[in-house]
Amino acid sequence: MAEYFRSRNLPVPRELERNFLTDWRRLGTIVVVMAVLYIGLQITGIDTSRANLGYWFSVLGQLVNFDFSIMTPQNEFETFWETAGGQMIVTIFLGIIATAMSIVIALPLSFLGARNIMTGNPITAAIYGIVRVIFTVVRSIDVLIVVILSSILFGLGNAAGVFALAFHNIGVLGKLYSEAIEGIDPGPGEAITATGADRFQVIWTAVLPQIVNPFISFTIYRLDANVRLAPILGLVGGGGIGQLLFFTINLLQYRKAGLIIFLIILTVAVMDFVSAQVRRRLI
Amino acid sequence: MRIEHLSKVYPNGTRALDDVSLDIHRGEFVVLIGLSGSGKSTLLRCINRLVEPTSGRIVFDGVDMTRVRGGELRRMRRRIGMIFQQFNLVRRSSVFANVLSGRLGSRPLWRTLAMRPTTDDVALAFENLGRVGIVDKAYSRADALSGGQQQRVGIARALMQRPDVMLADEPVASLDPATSHSVMKYLEEINRKDGITVVCSLHFLSLARRYGTRVIALKDGRVAFDGKPAEIDERRFKEIYGEDAVEVEIGVGATAEERAAAEAAIATEAAMRAHLETLDTH
Repeated sequence: MAEYFRSRNLPVPRELERNFLTDWRRLGTIVVVMAVLYIGLQITGIDTSRANLGYWFSVLGQLVNFDFSIMTPQNEFETFWETAGGQMIVTIFLGIIATAMSIVIALPLSFLGARNIMTGNPITAAIYGIVRVIFTVVRSIDVLIVVILSSILFGLGNAAGVFALAFHNIGVLGKLYSEAIEGIDPGPGEAITATGADRFQVIWTAVLPQIVNPFISFTIYRLDANVRLAPILGLVGGGGIGQLLFFTINLLQYRKAGLIIFLIILTVAVMDFVSAQVRRRLI
Repeated sequence: MRIEHLSKVYPNGTRALDDVSLDIHRGEFVVLIGLSGSGKSTLLRCINRLVEPTSGRIVFDGVDMTRVRGGELRRMRRRIGMIFQQFNLVRRSSVFANVLSGRLGSRPLWRTLAMRPTTDDVALAFENLGRVGIVDKAYSRADALSGGQQQRVGIARALMQRPDVMLADEPVASLDPATSHSVMKYLEEINRKDGITVVCSLHFLSLARRYGTRVIALKDGRVAFDGKPAEIDERRFKEIYGEDAVEVEIGVGATAEERAAAEAAIATEAAMRAHLETLDTH
């Protein structure tokens, strides 16, 4: 193929000149990847020899053979809210409250973290930089780690879960909101400025109407994510149905655990569907 | 208004305006022409300080616009209306809200937040909507209107300021020829009837000739021509637009025939729009 170009005195395209088998860069890449995988297997010592397929299947059988006793109060001290159904509802609300708390903080901060709002003088530009760094740092700490820290502060339970979720969500929502503000059309703001309005009036009349929809969309997306995260937090001390799941697994009550897992899957599926529907209708 | 030795150098080194000096008198209809990038937009935006000039002065009614700051700047801006090529309406808000926003500068913040315009402002908004002929669209969303209608909303918004001067940055560049004329006619009307000084940048010389009382041509940030529209002949035209340029006539009212064609186009557009609306209601 390369001959075609050479015989006509044309430059040969680079991809034709290379030979797959002799290209040292490709060979080098393959060697490096193989080496990394080999070393990884050696030092992690992944050992599958103790796998017990028979026991696994018996547990799997118990997991799908739901024990419905956890759906109703078992003695006079238990109320509906201690049952699996009650705890599921509590967990959904943990997600909702955490989202609400994070909106209250992320919403005003997001304006300070939007470049197009904050340019103009060095002080506001500095605030913009600081707010953006805060968002990134807050976002980069995984929720599970935050739960461990907040459960030291609040003790195990719902408070630890809610504050951890809210904390992480401030970083995520703040970034999403800020970027929505940065994506607006600057024209209307310019026009309102030209009428002699002050900065706040410009934001209120020209910026807000443009960001309402993206804000609602992002908020529902995060609400969905938080309700999905909330059950997991219970496993590390964040309260809610996750804690219940953690206890039943520790007590080897797999029939109860199976029902709880099913409830969580059901909730997540419903949330997913509802949030997709709502967001689609908004756009 | 007096512009003295105005220069603007953008941070990337572009010299958009280079020592521009002009006197603009009350009641004039000044048309700025020139190639893209010749500094028309920058000059207009320097006047109301949407762009900060690098050096020079703009004296408007005895006040140096380049020196005022904060509240004083906002008070001066209120006397200068502006309309834009891209209309710059808040697309998701109603026409009525957009027109009212022209009055923000004169009203306290709480009225903005509580969305409580004064009765006078509401009356003025409808008066101005009436002047540009779109009262029936008052509660439509701004982005539901055609380009020409959106530009008329832009004019109504600027009129809310009861301005002494109207700046227009390529107000018809996004519009078709027939609609361009209807928008230019509204500008002409506020110039003649209300005595509002108009400074308007345009691409088409034919429009400049038809509407302007004075034409200022910019070339590479300098004034290349300043005089009566009729004084622009073939030679001057080539000076402003370059040797290869050919003048394009845009459906202008130069001959009776063309005027009839333009009006027919407006009528057709109106009929089509009316038809589309009846379709919408079903």
